[in-house]
Amino acid sequence: MTFTRFIVEGWSWSSLTLIGGMVAAAGCAVRSRLGLRPGYFAAALLLALFTLLPPFGTLAAGVLFSAHMAQHILLLVVIPALLVLSLPRDFTPRFLNSGGFRSLAWVAGVGPMWLWHTPALCEAAVRQPAVHAVQTASLMAMGLVFWWPVLAPCARNRMTPGPGIVYLFTACLACTALGIILTLTPADVCPIFSAPSSVSFWTDLRGRIGAEQDRQIGGLLMWIPMCLIYLGAILLEVFRWLRPTGVTEKPPP
Amino acid sequence: MNPSSSSSAALTPATLSTEERAHWQLAWVATVDHKRIGILYLLFTLFFFAVGGLEALFIRLQLAVPNNMLVSPDTFNALFTMHGTTMIFLVAMPAVFGFANYFIPLMIGARDMAFPRLNAFGVWLIPFGGALLHFSLFTGVPKVGWFGYAPLSESPYSSSLGVDYWIIALLVLGIGSVATGINLIATIFCLRAPGMTLQRLPLFVWIMLIAAFLVILALPVLNAGLVMLLMDRQLGTHFFMAGGGGSPVLWQHLFWSFGHPEVYILALPAFGIISEVIPVFSRKPIFGYEFVAVSGVAIGFLSFGVWAHHMFTIGMGRAADLFFVIASMLIAVPTGVKVFNWSTTMVRGRIRMTVPMMYAVAFLIQFTIGGLSGVTHGSAALDWQTKNSYFLVAHFHYVIVGGVLFALLAALHYWFPKISGRMLSERLGRWTFWCMTLGFNATFLIQHMLGFAGMPRRVYTYPDFENWGWMNFLSTAGACLMGVAAVLLLVNILRSLSRGMPAGPNPWRAWTLEWATPSPPPAHNFEALPPIHSRRPLWDLANPDRPDPVVGPDAISTPDRAKTSLWILIASEAAFFGALLLVFVYFNIRPQPGPSSKTSLHLVPTLIFSVCLFASSFTLWRAEVAERCGRHRGVARWLGLTVLLGAIFIVGQGFEYWGLYRSGVTVGTNVFAASFFLLTGFHGFHVTAGLIALGIVLGLGLAGDYRNRPSPLVAVGLYWHFVDIVWVFVLSIAYLLPRLP
Repeated sequence: MTFTRFIVEGWSWSSLTLIGGMVAAAGCAVRSRLGLRPGYFAAALLLALFTLLPPFGTLAAGVLFSAHMAQHILLLVVIPALLVLSLPRDFTPRFLNSGGFRSLAWVAGVGPMWLWHTPALCEAAVRQPAVHAVQTASLMAMGLVFWWPVLAPCARNRMTPGPGIVYLFTACLACTALGIILTLTPADVCPIFSAPSSVSFWTDLRGRIGAEQDRQIGGLLMWIPMCLIYLGAILLEVFRWLRPTGVTEKPPP
Repeated sequence: MNPSSSSSAALTPATLSTEERAHWQLAWVATVDHKRIGILYLLFTLFFFAVGGLEALFIRLQLAVPNNMLVSPDTFNALFTMHGTTMIFLVAMPAVFGFANYFIPLMIGARDMAFPRLNAFGVWLIPFGGALLHFSLFTGVPKVGWFGYAPLSESPYSSSLGVDYWIIALLVLGIGSVATGINLIATIFCLRAPGMTLQRLPLFVWIMLIAAFLVILALPVLNAGLVMLLMDRQLGTHFFMAGGGGSPVLWQHLFWSFGHPEVYILALPAFGIISEVIPVFSRKPIFGYEFVAVSGVAIGFLSFGVWAHHMFTIGMGRAADLFFVIASMLIAVPTGVKVFNWSTTMVRGRIRMTVPMMYAVAFLIQFTIGGLSGVTHGSAALDWQTKNSYFLVAHFHYVIVGGVLFALLAALHYWFPKISGRMLSERLGRWTFWCMTLGFNATFLIQHMLGFAGMPRRVYTYPDFENWGWMNFLSTAGACLMGVAAVLLLVNILRSLSRGMPAGPNPWRAWTLEWATPSPPPAHNFEALPPIHSRRPLWDLANPDRPDPVVGPDAISTPDRAKTSLWILIASEAAFFGALLLVFVYFNIRPQPGPSSKTSLHLVPTLIFSVCLFASSFTLWRAEVAERCGRHRGVARWLGLTVLLGAIFIVGQGFEYWGLYRSGVTVGTNVFAASFFLLTGFHGFHVTAGLIALGIVLGLGLAGDYRNRPSPLVAVGLYWHFVDIVWVFVLSIAYLLPRLP
């Protein structure tokens, strides 16, 4: 397998449709005068393209379990976080502020990882493009809901630091638990990734990594990098809180 | 408590009142005052420091020359096991708790700890645990290292009862530590003085808060592992025996997922101490308060995710190694931030090189060396080469002795005037410092070289290789010098207690609240507190014309003590059950040979008594509602129903156990049975404890005890709901999931 083939292989009309759709969405967002912060928004779009297009998208779709896992982390955690950060400061829908919404938001942020890794669903998402599309959309939507109480543009909509830390730390624990199970036990949540590949071109890559190591990397990705993202958010919470706006300058002598 | 230290403490003029001095034994044994409990912690520490130090000296004497036969190989193994265990569990942790106990209430302007009697319980568990550990002297001392690796610690390889005493001692000490951790957190959250918001906490308190969270979350995991090891040894299970379907590697995972946070349970308080000492003796506020606090939080969280770097050599696979290399290296970043904060605080400060400051500076240098050699171990490839050598011994002693012990000595010299009301001798202190520092570096710096030269650790002697002899001899000489320093320290303390200079309330001109009261503080701690608007209230008091910037609003929120402590207990218990649930999944994700969940457990009866348990949460909620509305009979009725439903659950579980026993499934049958009984047994134990608590509340309520005071129903109820939620997980994982196609 050459590097050129690695880049070129796997493109299809659906990838081009995806790019077209994204560009159209970006155009709409810019024209709607929502006042999005361009840096975060562009980063989210580019990352989404990288995540879903070949070669990464192809790797995730039935070749490497680890790439599949990385795709989920990007879709559930990273891209939604960037999207929420890209919202303008005056974006404050009222229904998103209740305590009940926050417990739901936690489940939304943690649940999909467990749900989509039940063997039947995992396999369906890899085999059928329609299920995969639902999966992608649901992960991003759930991610947006999860990050809202932490990263909402207006401080009024965010949780106070104490509950915020608990919210993020328990999310980290939940993904750690799944990560530990995937890494340390012979649990095979997505048997399709250890079955012979449907895309013959990539088989040697999987052969070189080895199914077991591939699964371990998938678990470790959930265990460590995903938790590090939550930890980063925790540190942001603490730092914001220790540096309150109320710090007044020294009165002149 | 050893008599000499207790009588020496009794000599201090104002620690005991005149009436108390007539019966000073009772005054110390029955005390619930946080200051006396703090002193007790420190006295126990001093005693066990002598014990562990003597063990260390024997280790070094044995290694002083090649082919030495001073002690036998077995004795040597026992010595390093007891040395490690004693120093971690009976010296370092009690010392940290001692200072925290004495100074946290003072620093936050509180009258005492949140739960004084729980506090006394915690301190007396130290000598109890120490006695249990040393009782193994009569039964065969454990020779398995402080880490007790299985299968060496299993009964076929360690048949004497020593390991069992070691396990029970660690369980006792672990329970005491969790109790103290809960108490510290509740104190910091609930008892702060007006104006002492969390943003204004002294850094020692801030960092102790983080360390206390590590205690309550990490110790339960060790306790879970210890219980399993004890079951292996006493009940014939095979959790950690490969032969019976168990996994020795699982012990390492459990031990180090406690063991690495433990490193930071010791190191974080050291950071807190240094963050207090360096600013005071540099006459400057700390540089970057926020960064010190936030990096503490980062270290706390990261410490839970990097334990596997202790296990690079067991063959976890290249992928796992790689991830843990990166995570381990990351933890150096917040630690480096702190070193930068301390150094920058000293830049352009008016530095006063008093003894505490000397220890702090030595800490800074030595801890950085230890940290850097730690980074080398973070790299798996290098770790494979140096792991089992003296390079590693040098590394962790630079962290624990050069770092933690030096910080504790800085704390002792800094706060001794407050505790005793008398100054320590600076001259003797300097002698002690130089003996300690030279001795320490002579002992351990050379061990880096010994490690590179290939000397393995945990061996009782070595052949006469080139250069090994003199390097080891130098190391032993250094250890003896540290022994001299320890004696000098004791002399200094005793001398100061009898004729030290009176200290006055604030000898160092420090800025935190503990210096706003006489030394030693009266039983009620403060006559009146200064106003608190910044992070250095005493600076503001002394310099009204140029106070520190006001930090945040003055208003503080102090949550309810009972509920807060219950929530923290629940977090701790959740860690315990989390470990047990993961253990169950670990063993049963692929069915074991022999009985399994599918073949042996009957779903329908379990579902019936599970419904009873879940219903009991509902009835308890109704009881809480009735109490809020003041309907006493309603409370009794609903509470009675709750107890009944809980009892049905327990009886149901009893029948299930009986059925399993009749069909030949006992705890030793296979790892499914062992992990099932472990998980459901501990849950049942918690249900029983909850039933007893509810029964007491019900009984007292019926007797009319809560007519005039609030009942603890809501707090006990929290616990009961938690136990029910745990059963949701147990039911799903042990009964339902294995039945899925």
